[in-house]
Amino acid sequence: MELHIIVCIKSVATKAPGTGIVRSADTADLNPFDRPALEMAISMVEEQGGTVTVLTMGPPSCAFILHEAMAMGANRGILLSDARLADSDTLATSTALAAAIERLGPFDLVLFGTRTYDSDTGQVGPQTAVLIDAPLVTSVISCEFKGNLLHVKRKIDGFKEEYELSLPAALTIHPSAVKPRDIPLGGIEEAFDTKEISVLTLDDLKINPGIVGSAGSPTRVISMTRVTRERKCEFLTGTTGEQAEELVGRIKKSGLIG
Amino acid sequence: MNTFLTEKNRAVRRSVRAFCEREIVPIAGEIDREARFPWEIIEMMGKLGYFGIQVPKNLGGAGMDAMSYVITIEEISRACGSLGLCVTVHNSVAVYPILAFGTEEQKERWIPQLARGEKIGAFGLTEPNAGSDAAGIEATAIRDNDHYVVNANKAFVTNGGIADICLIFARTDPNAGRRGISVIAAERGAQGFIVGDLEDLCGMRSNPVSSIRLYDCKVPAENLIGKEGMGLQIGLAALDIGRVGIAAQAVGIAQAALEDSAGYANQRQQFGVSIGRHQSIQAMLADMATQVEAARLMVYRAAILRDQGKSFSQASAMAKLHASEMSSTVTDMAVQIHGGYGYSKAYAVERYYRDARVTRIYEGTSEIHRMIIAKGILDEYK
Repeated sequence: MELHIIVCIKSVATKAPGTGIVRSADTADLNPFDRPALEMAISMVEEQGGTVTVLTMGPPSCAFILHEAMAMGANRGILLSDARLADSDTLATSTALAAAIERLGPFDLVLFGTRTYDSDTGQVGPQTAVLIDAPLVTSVISCEFKGNLLHVKRKIDGFKEEYELSLPAALTIHPSAVKPRDIPLGGIEEAFDTKEISVLTLDDLKINPGIVGSAGSPTRVISMTRVTRERKCEFLTGTTGEQAEELVGRIKKSGLIG
Repeated sequence: MNTFLTEKNRAVRRSVRAFCEREIVPIAGEIDREARFPWEIIEMMGKLGYFGIQVPKNLGGAGMDAMSYVITIEEISRACGSLGLCVTVHNSVAVYPILAFGTEEQKERWIPQLARGEKIGAFGLTEPNAGSDAAGIEATAIRDNDHYVVNANKAFVTNGGIADICLIFARTDPNAGRRGISVIAAERGAQGFIVGDLEDLCGMRSNPVSSIRLYDCKVPAENLIGKEGMGLQIGLAALDIGRVGIAAQAVGIAQAALEDSAGYANQRQQFGVSIGRHQSIQAMLADMATQVEAARLMVYRAAILRDQGKSFSQASAMAKLHASEMSSTVTDMAVQIHGGYGYSKAYAVERYYRDARVTRIYEGTSEIHRMIIAKGILDEYK
């Protein structure tokens, strides 16, 4: 069975912003939590045949992450880019992604990372799944086809759960699920020379600009300041045993150990 | 960041750097101390295409341009000079001559395995009595029906201890002077192919540099690269490319020294402030950063000229001369900024210092490069 898997990826800021975030290859990176999702999609398609489409939303300077995903093995890249999408919160982002996914369909699976390195909400995957009306399992650590059904395992605190899903479905992939492959030089050459990135705008998706961007965002970031870390060095006194006891006491008190 | 790099070039840098930081940086000090060649890394790099960077895809390579090649070497060398050396020598002076001068049969026979890193290549030009004076080599390869009988004593062969294929420069016509030198691909395992002891070197310690000796070694005649008498032509063409690689390696080592020094200068406190607040340390960091960037631009210029199909010999020689001299200076400053710790094996800068030193010697000494560059200038304004 040939699969069409859409993987939603994000370029995340790697440098703390001063006045605002401008994402480019020098200041941003492919969200590390998206890499296991990409790996899972690419290896499933390698086994079963089909296509991996990578989708990201952002300005044209984010296109580099699509190239990176295609260098890993994804087949085509879609950049959802429109000035009217600026300042989208997670709901507006999910709304736009859902419209793009409907446009790119039919699909068998939509995969997400569990969260992002920069904003860390973990909301976009589940929200998008609701909007495209697909069954969702989060924090998936493995998946396997059994006939037409997808058998998935998920990991939550202290438990493992197993589900059976009919397709199409959406999954968020746990960071420990698979080790993402390194990018081969030949893959980079191929991504830039033979694979294409298509750009989608709001007009292509035929959605009302009022439900995306800042207009469609019920939440907004009102301030962003750099966290300053204050470190201090303190020397414990007493015998080695006393020092160790004091140290363990303090670590316990801080809640780091039980 | 160099704004003229293409997105593809940047993607190469990001991916190679990510791999090197995860896999090579953590073991670089250990493999230097143990003088160990890390096969596990070689295997991974082979799968990622690092051993066939510019080899066409139909022969199993990554099919990339010279700019991607130098960025790859720069990044590997930033993590470990010895591995940068292994990869650049393999790509430039071992694989390239076969690609450029070999027959279709030779390419199909050797290139795919070399490009995947399943076989490692080496370049056997230097001898105990011939190095800078390449025309002075004494090795001989005498044709006897369908093979050559090769007698050679090759010294300081990079990758020598593990190489599967070594390009041997030998005299096929002892009476023809410079025009009597040819290149023959000798394969490890042939009778009379002897790998000597590993050299106990100051730096580049995890590269198995060794001597390779051939005693009445019978090499099939079809292993001749190009034609008889083309040896020096092939060698010089390979060295043009090799020199850009060595220059990129020197830049990578210096970049690592610069980054470590800046980090140390921010962290090390003396007189109640970080030493980076002291003007004398700032001056060193400024000079280091400026020199690294200048050398990098020279390396990139040579690579761009090659990619544009223009003559790049002079640019390559200048890049190699400047980058190697720069790398020695910058790593020396890095040791100075680190003070006593810089002279200790507890910090990586002493390794950079040792590794950088040889870039002024191999693939043409600085003195030979000055001769080449001066000749080019004098010829231009004749």
